[in-house]
Amino acid sequence: MTRIESNPQLQQLLQHPALWRGRSIAPHATIATGYAALDAVLPGGGWPRLGLIEILTAQQGLGELQLWLPALAQLTTQPEARWCAFVDPPFELFAPAFVMAGVQLDRLLVIREGQSLWAMEQALRSGACDIALTWLSRVSSPALRRLALATEQGRAPGVVFRPAMAEHESSPAALRVGLAAVPGGVRLRIIKSRGVSRDLIDVCWAP
Amino acid sequence: MSRAQQTAGLFTALQAPLPQSLPPRLPPAPPTSTAQRQRERTAELWAAVQWPPGQFATDPPAQLAQQALLAQRFTPRVSLEPPDALLLELRGSVRLFGGLQPLLAQLQSVFAASAVVALAPTPLAALGFARTGKSCCLTDTTRLVSRLAPLPLRCLRWPEASLQRLAAVGVSTIGEALRLPRAGFAQRFGAHLLQDLDRLLGRRAHPRITFVATERFSSRCEPSFELADTALVLRTIAPQLQQLEQFLLQRQRGITALLLRLVHRRQPPTQCVLRLAVPEHRAARLAVLLQSKLQHVVLAEPVRRCELRSGPLLACAADSTQLWQPGEHGGGALTQMPAFLESLRARLGAAAVQGLRIAPGHRPELLSCATEPVWQSASARRVAAAVRDTSVPWPAGRRPLWLLPDPRQLPLTVDDSGHPLWQQLRLQLLAGPERLETGWWDGADICRDYYVAADGQGARLWIFRERDAGRRWFLHGYFG
Repeated sequence: MTRIESNPQLQQLLQHPALWRGRSIAPHATIATGYAALDAVLPGGGWPRLGLIEILTAQQGLGELQLWLPALAQLTTQPEARWCAFVDPPFELFAPAFVMAGVQLDRLLVIREGQSLWAMEQALRSGACDIALTWLSRVSSPALRRLALATEQGRAPGVVFRPAMAEHESSPAALRVGLAAVPGGVRLRIIKSRGVSRDLIDVCWAP
Repeated sequence: MSRAQQTAGLFTALQAPLPQSLPPRLPPAPPTSTAQRQRERTAELWAAVQWPPGQFATDPPAQLAQQALLAQRFTPRVSLEPPDALLLELRGSVRLFGGLQPLLAQLQSVFAASAVVALAPTPLAALGFARTGKSCCLTDTTRLVSRLAPLPLRCLRWPEASLQRLAAVGVSTIGEALRLPRAGFAQRFGAHLLQDLDRLLGRRAHPRITFVATERFSSRCEPSFELADTALVLRTIAPQLQQLEQFLLQRQRGITALLLRLVHRRQPPTQCVLRLAVPEHRAARLAVLLQSKLQHVVLAEPVRRCELRSGPLLACAADSTQLWQPGEHGGGALTQMPAFLESLRARLGAAAVQGLRIAPGHRPELLSCATEPVWQSASARRVAAAVRDTSVPWPAGRRPLWLLPDPRQLPLTVDDSGHPLWQQLRLQLLAGPERLETGWWDGADICRDYYVAADGQGARLWIFRERDAGRRWFLHGYFG
């Protein structure tokens, strides 16, 4: 990307109205991720506000939820915030960490007791959630398709955390991101996205 | 009295049968001064209904409440005088019932068979007349003292000891008590008795608590055939749910609890309890929730009878149709949020949906707890955010997003250079130690050094080492 931006001739060419770039077909609305390097690459400058987002990790605890904290903070602090639903999280959510990141606890909802696909679909479809996150180890493509349809009905993004080996399965997700650990941060690999070349992005955690 | 109660009282009064024919005009009253007429229009008029002792033998409070329901057709301001009397404030109803005499006649026709009805300008005076069996009708405040004077003090139901002391000085009627000097009376018999006398004569205000009926909806339906299927049950109780909706709509109330009881031939009845987040009155919504609840119910035997019972009736917030679609400009925020919780809870159980809150203290295990999710409106959140204390800095150390409910002991070894090893991989300590030493007062004390560590695969862990003799390592959370 930077190469195009730094080349003045290319820049001039890009002003031409007949010229059309792939990344301009971004989804209409996005949520800033809170990480400048990531915002620069994602279409529309942030996580899409509609559709499924898949985060693929080789193991839990790499920082996949950390990646979402700034977006969650932003969603829960807005005045007309709806619920933020965590469907069947693998461990207990530790409230102080969320508070330290600026997330408002009164809009968080933790849904357990199995039936996570049903609960996720309800959360997305009802229109009562700003975002719903779930952890699915094994899920069929039709089930994901149902979730993707539900996100469009309820106009809320659904985040699905899946193991890395699901990368080769077909998926109706609008955005698929693979995560790998690097020292002091995490390396994101965009596997699937609308109108973006596949890039590697390094995100560093604050010390 | 709240406005709603006033309205409810008006409705009760409207539902009461009006007199068949207008009463004959009373003979013209003797000319009275304007001031007196004004006083009579605004002064309170109390009716006491006194039953003889032993009338309510089985369950006095419930039987009295039942009589109070009967009395509410005359006025909304009915108050209980346990154990065996009611007080009705009738000034506002006089005109509606076509005058004092017709109103009194109706009161007598309802209550006089078993009780004494007396009217007076103050509650205590009316009670006094009724307790002495005088079913008089006194509206004139100026004649109150002369009419009360011959009544025995016993009708005020003062404590027996006080009555005996009064009798010992030769005072047994109200008139004799009123003749005593006030200061001396208060000193010798107690200020509260003097206050009672003042209330009796209307010199002192005597506010009464208005009786509010607690209503429940209850209905049963016994179909002519046995129901073997929950879907059939739902279809059978549909008319009952419609009745419930009508019942609630008439009262502008909603319910948050509904009990469906399915009675079998031999087996104990199946119960299905519905709990709602906000008061609800719509039959369709209740049917949907009952359906998702009944889906998981296995009927041991066919159902012979369905009983529907509501919880207490609560004030129902008026709802309006959404202007925005869900998700647009925060559309749907008011009604959909609780409805979403209810549908989840109806299927997964009440404990499946939890909120999150922080408890005071420093012990990580006790710090983060599940709580009942409460939907706060945007304005309430603004207020809460304004008063939230942001001046206290959060503990300086970092906290993980995931916490293990019980710390997991790590089989760690320490290599030559002092670094901990886990599964042959060197744990890299990124931050720490942060010492937490607290809770000595309740036996669950902790004494730990916390570290942030990275394992060989890039996951960041929150681990601690006990400071007591074991010096063991534990994993307590993931930074996720």
